[in-house]
Amino acid sequence: MARITVVISQGQSANPDKRGLEEGLVGALLMESGVEVTVIPHLYDLGPGSTGMLCLEGITGDMIVASWLFPRAAHWTLDRGGIKGHMGQTLLATEADDEDDFDEDESDEAEAEAGDDKQHVGGRNLPNRTIYHLRLAAHNSPEPFVAEIKRIMSEATVQTVDLMSWIGGSPKPEQLERYLNPRKMNGQVVGAVANAKPPASPSDGDGKPAEPIRVAETPARRWYPVIDYSRCTNCMECIDFCLFGVYGVDGAETILVEQPDNCRKGCPACSRVCPENAIIFPQHKAPAIAGSALENAGGLKIDLSQLFGAPSAIEIAAQERDVELVAVGRDAVGLSVGIPKRQADKPQEPKDDLDKLMDQLDDLDL
Amino acid sequence: MTEPLVFMMGKFEARFPTDRQYAKNHMWALAALGGLRFGFSAYAVRLLQDVYFLDWSVEAGAALAERQEIGSIESSKAESALFAPMAGRLARFNEALLADPSTINVDLYGRGWLFDMEGLGGELLSPEEYLIHLEAAWKVAERTIKGQFNE
Repeated sequence: MARITVVISQGQSANPDKRGLEEGLVGALLMESGVEVTVIPHLYDLGPGSTGMLCLEGITGDMIVASWLFPRAAHWTLDRGGIKGHMGQTLLATEADDEDDFDEDESDEAEAEAGDDKQHVGGRNLPNRTIYHLRLAAHNSPEPFVAEIKRIMSEATVQTVDLMSWIGGSPKPEQLERYLNPRKMNGQVVGAVANAKPPASPSDGDGKPAEPIRVAETPARRWYPVIDYSRCTNCMECIDFCLFGVYGVDGAETILVEQPDNCRKGCPACSRVCPENAIIFPQHKAPAIAGSALENAGGLKIDLSQLFGAPSAIEIAAQERDVELVAVGRDAVGLSVGIPKRQADKPQEPKDDLDKLMDQLDDLDL
Repeated sequence: MTEPLVFMMGKFEARFPTDRQYAKNHMWALAALGGLRFGFSAYAVRLLQDVYFLDWSVEAGAALAERQEIGSIESSKAESALFAPMAGRLARFNEALLADPSTINVDLYGRGWLFDMEGLGGELLSPEEYLIHLEAAWKVAERTIKGQFNE
């Protein structure tokens, strides 16, 4: 059986039901062989260099992260913190238990990337390991989570490659038998599939801890945007829009959240401006902004308010930004600064004097 | 009156009579009783489908700003807040609709009228201008609806 680390990211709240679920899950997992359990504070609040982050950096193989965040939010928060990996497929029914959709995140991402012809930044420098995400809000008891964790672990050991296609020539029946069903011969294991270690119990002294690793720090609460790079196209609208210096570009001219703690607490304005819905504020009350995969989470009806005259997302974003500007003693700017140019469908007209002036200003490269 | 203009919403033929003006928020406007009478255009009704519930959050006689939120609607397919199509005074609501909102589906350009307003008409569009507006709006609507249903 493969070994896997399960990281339980505790919620911020001291709600006894939530703590009970976390501890129940810890207890249940300690009974399972092959599982290392690590308990960390709310992963969104972990700053660089914190004990929790250092602990996560030490995990090199596959891991399963159970948190109170939406899976997308957890995954890209960790990615920004340097905890990278391929996003794993989980079958834990999340927000839409009454509908027939399993985990939408991965299949949607795959479809989105396959279906559109936009260039997404994508996850970069990904090590060859997978991170699975479980949303603790999905169930009230540990059992469904334990079942899913065990399913993930067994899936990780199954050779999903079609073995038969590797076999060249025409093997004799007994050769094929030996290939497909390895047996010990002279004390050695033969065959293509390695035998697993026999299951260990917590007390058999094979080095498996009977207690989880617990990171006991209480980080301060943070508020900052998280970029989902599978959606991000590096269009730079966010860096133009945010007037608090939260965004920057890295050495590869790619957008990143450079000064997360410059972000104004509670303000989600930039997430409304992103054309790809790639910006997540994991703690925001609206599921779409907090990283939910479903656009219409919680309801089966479409919301036509935008069509019937509600202020557009951009207008709401500008209003929210103005609130924050005024709060720090700056002037409100309305729609005059850093608003995405969404006029691509208008016909190209010849440049007028104002256009030429703007071009000259751009050329000055201030 | 000439033939209604037609706009294709997928396979559905949405019709727009040429005897009235239209607002960008998909309401029609007909001069009546010293002001303007408003109702939903075929575009709006097609997106809503069967109307179940209509609720107003302002009183008759209230002075409204353009795009002020004035109520909400719930239908088989959608729900939405409703907004004033122009600045002016809300003269009266169609009371019959509150008891039976399905009249909107049955007779959207006639007995399914929503409310009367007194005002200057703001930026109402001619039927031809409205159809141009629909071309752009339909693309956004398609994306919104598909996105919301994970199709």
